[in-house]
Amino acid sequence: MLYDEGQHAMAEETRRVLAARTDRTRLLELLDRTGAWDEAFWATAVEQGWTALAVPEEFGGLGLGLIELGLVAQEAGRVVSGAPFLTYGHGAVCALLASDDEDLLATWLPRLAKGEVKAAVAFAEDDGAMPAAPSVEYRDGRLHGTKGGVACGLAADIAIVSASSPDGMVLALVDLGQASGDELQRRAIGSFDNGRLFADMTFSGAPATVLEAGDAAEEAALDLQAQMAVLTAHEQTGGAEAMMLAARDYALERKAFGQPIGAFQSVKHRLAEMYGLVEIARANCIHAAARQGEGDFLEAAACARLSAIEAYDTATRDAVQIHGGSGVTWDGGLHLHMRRARSLAIELGNALFWEDLLATELTGEPA
Amino acid sequence: MTDLDAWQERSRAWLASVAPEFGREARAGLSQDEDLAVGRRYMAAKYDAGFSGITIPVEFGGQGLSPLHKVLFETLEAQAAMPIGYFGVSTAMPLPILIRYCDDKDWVRERIVAALKGEEIWCQLFSEPAAGSDLAGLRTKAEQGGEGWTINGQKLWTTFAQYSDYGILIARSDPALPKHKGLTFFWIDMKAPGVTVRPFRLANGDIQCNEVFFDDVAVADSQRLGPVGGGFSVAMATLMIERYAASDADGFGPPIGAFVELLRSHTINGRPALRDGRVRSVIARNHALRQGLDSIRRRAMLIMEAGQEPGPEGALNKLFSVRSRQKLSELALDLQGSAGLAYTEGAYTKADWAASWIGAPTMRQAGGADEMLLNTIAEKILGLPQDHRPDKGVPFNQIPA
Repeated sequence: MLYDEGQHAMAEETRRVLAARTDRTRLLELLDRTGAWDEAFWATAVEQGWTALAVPEEFGGLGLGLIELGLVAQEAGRVVSGAPFLTYGHGAVCALLASDDEDLLATWLPRLAKGEVKAAVAFAEDDGAMPAAPSVEYRDGRLHGTKGGVACGLAADIAIVSASSPDGMVLALVDLGQASGDELQRRAIGSFDNGRLFADMTFSGAPATVLEAGDAAEEAALDLQAQMAVLTAHEQTGGAEAMMLAARDYALERKAFGQPIGAFQSVKHRLAEMYGLVEIARANCIHAAARQGEGDFLEAAACARLSAIEAYDTATRDAVQIHGGSGVTWDGGLHLHMRRARSLAIELGNALFWEDLLATELTGEPA
Repeated sequence: MTDLDAWQERSRAWLASVAPEFGREARAGLSQDEDLAVGRRYMAAKYDAGFSGITIPVEFGGQGLSPLHKVLFETLEAQAAMPIGYFGVSTAMPLPILIRYCDDKDWVRERIVAALKGEEIWCQLFSEPAAGSDLAGLRTKAEQGGEGWTINGQKLWTTFAQYSDYGILIARSDPALPKHKGLTFFWIDMKAPGVTVRPFRLANGDIQCNEVFFDDVAVADSQRLGPVGGGFSVAMATLMIERYAASDADGFGPPIGAFVELLRSHTINGRPALRDGRVRSVIARNHALRQGLDSIRRRAMLIMEAGQEPGPEGALNKLFSVRSRQKLSELALDLQGSAGLAYTEGAYTKADWAASWIGAPTMRQAGGADEMLLNTIAEKILGLPQDHRPDKGVPFNQIPA
């Protein structure tokens, strides 16, 4: 798949806008706070219509897909995006579309498209990224139990939750604003990447609407997890490329032993290896985005996710190393990427989860 | 169906039709000389079928098609394991160089047709005992006098020189100039007096590489390709020709699917090997890497199809794929226990783990060592400075040996 001219233009424009409106000082301040996000980033996302990209036109969206949303995610990753809402908003859109419930679609999709509603997706529990039999239970229209470490959890207006029920697993939508303080508790996690708005969410009878049940719920959950993973992979790739370029620029400017440190092979080769990992991740991301809805989408998504985790981890690790002492100062800001590489590696299933998923796809053997 | 689809279909159909005569099974167990004879017959059949010299202009006996046509055909041809190795260098690099730099066009056409038909073989006389990655450090001398030139010195690693009729050679014509400037390029008759070819075995047992000695070999000035002192640019032009070579995300080793099938019947600690977390991690990571390389390759094809130049990321394939092949092959042998110790010399590297493993280091040197590829990526793509080169600008004969 090749990006067309419109897609290229969109990526350029996104990059330009984000470069102009991102302020590293503001991002650094967020690290010391819980429950806060970069308002300027989110305002930009809404104003630019990124929230509407992958929503069908009949519900106020632009009717585009993972390819365009991926391009935005990649640019957002480049500047350590100031809020996690785009990815999880898309997860909620996917979950709603899977339900095919006209009333629910008409209620939520236009508001998600306009960025009026922020969503969280809560699948993970202590024993895995996507437990087949969640400990959270759905009974008589209400949820009971705890989901830990939900990204967006502190700010979300709605949540898509996986839960066990007599009909098997369900995907349920919770209108978080409608739940009382007794029915829903959110406990902030003081994290190394507070801008992700992590929270433990405890449901004590919060009202919920079932979107899908049984096999259909499991299928829908896996598909939307994979779609969000592909977006995150784009974000990771953008971050990895930013780190690679920052390290390259520093290696050209910083001199030691009478020459730029970028002339030493220990540094040059490290940068060349980073370039390789970034391009491999990018190629997998583009391929995965183009395979949405096809039979091999899950496999392509796993490849994108695994190579993007590796690229971002390696690029941050090595970029910090190449920067020497300035790589580890607060004001230098490289730790913004270091933190983000870690939080994104944990969200949406870690590398081990995706390795097992991909190995199962390729071998037919479960872990 | 586009022109390219039709081409691919036609290529596939023809390759399938000749596979029983020339393909992997027909070649099993043949000696190298027997295999070469099959190869010559294959080249003749390919020429008659109109798949030879795909990018070479029609007036020189080629097909006059695009690099994309060439890559598409060669990818299928490699998959079919046709006996093309002996002709790989011969038909790739020397022919376009002759077209560009040789004045006697009738003679060039004769040579090209003979090479394409497998009747004649060309080799590339570049590397030397003391000049590999640092090609411009070569020491073979070309001295001008009287009618032409006299060549003295030694080349090394010359692939299939033992079968070659002709060669292209780069030699030092002026040792008083800095190393890149004092070089001149020639074509050589490999049967000329004073040329001695000595094949040697590689670690895997293959006899492909040669030492080639030149003792007062007389070369006419008409055999010079490019200006006196312009040899390095001609050599660079030669190496650029291969930028459209067929690539393989498996590094010309077995694919991941073969690894999975190998392990299906094996156990680790009494459990199926494919349920072992370490094995699963290796499968997943190598597959993700190779998928990425393959996506890069497919994207490059689309860009070429659109008439544009592919991005520099194509340079990653050999570096990443062969390392992946090397480690995966080691593990594939380990996991077979005592069966992994068996070795069949000359087995096909895409189907045999031991052959893949023992041949991998050669791949990491040939056509640009890993370290040179990393330097190239760092310098040409990322814009990083060249390494410190103490011999830069120094007359060759004043560089400390």
